[in-house]
Amino acid sequence: MIFITGPLYSGKRQYARNFCGDGDMITEVQDLAARCADLPALADDLARRYKVIIATEIGGGIVPVDEGQREARDKAGRLSCMLAERAETVVRIFCGLPMVLKGDLP
Amino acid sequence: MFTLLIGGAASGKSELAESLIIKCGALPRYYIATMQPIDDESRARIARHRAMREQKSFDTVECYTGLNNIKLPQKGAALLECVSNLAANELFCKNGAGGNTVEAVLHGVERLLCQCKHLVAVSNEVFCGGCDYEGDTLRYMKVLAEINRRLAQIADNVAEIVCGQAVYYKVSD
Repeated sequence: MIFITGPLYSGKRQYARNFCGDGDMITEVQDLAARCADLPALADDLARRYKVIIATEIGGGIVPVDEGQREARDKAGRLSCMLAERAETVVRIFCGLPMVLKGDLP
Repeated sequence: MFTLLIGGAASGKSELAESLIIKCGALPRYYIATMQPIDDESRARIARHRAMREQKSFDTVECYTGLNNIKLPQKGAALLECVSNLAANELFCKNGAGGNTVEAVLHGVERLLCQCKHLVAVSNEVFCGGCDYEGDTLRYMKVLAEINRRLAQIADNVAEIVCGQAVYYKVSD
């Protein structure tokens, strides 16, 4: 599994199409984390089902005042760590440019 | 050896920092904790971190303000977690350094460096969520940014942490 992360609109999905069709990838998994009670199980399930998993980085910036928002971005961050752990390759996209953080590109 | 790790919320900073300390080998391990248990949320965060390092033989030293007063019993490996909390405490607590926060934190880190063989300091990336801040938040951001920059200057290694992976901007020879 390839895990791709990076800021909003950085070109993650377009880059992912180098490796698979839209059917084999899932995007915006950070949204799944917010309403998930068992993050490791979610990470296992996603890693098993998809060739490429994409998460938008949302943990930067000042800590939100709203408790729900704080929890959502903490859970998103933890899910990303778990997916990176399970991935053979981790890539971060910056302005459309990839930086490999773990493993090798296929 | 001084390593500075900076990352966003739940980016895997702590786990990586702990693993760097463990790689230092059989030295006394100190965890300098800066988060004050003021409400349920902070108590839950503290409990989570305590559980994470439970089997890793750290002695926990609590330090909410006045890092320069810390005295470590032996020269070992210390983990300072985290600079962003310490800066907020110094800036906003009654007994904090207030307008002198930058110098207080830097002086504290320098004193700490003299007392250990390895120091890993964790700080937060809070600067890429736009510029629309004012008052105390803006003041805090400016203070933390200066601390991060100046620590990065004196650190041997500096890495940004992204989903548990270290992206090094500075590596010692």
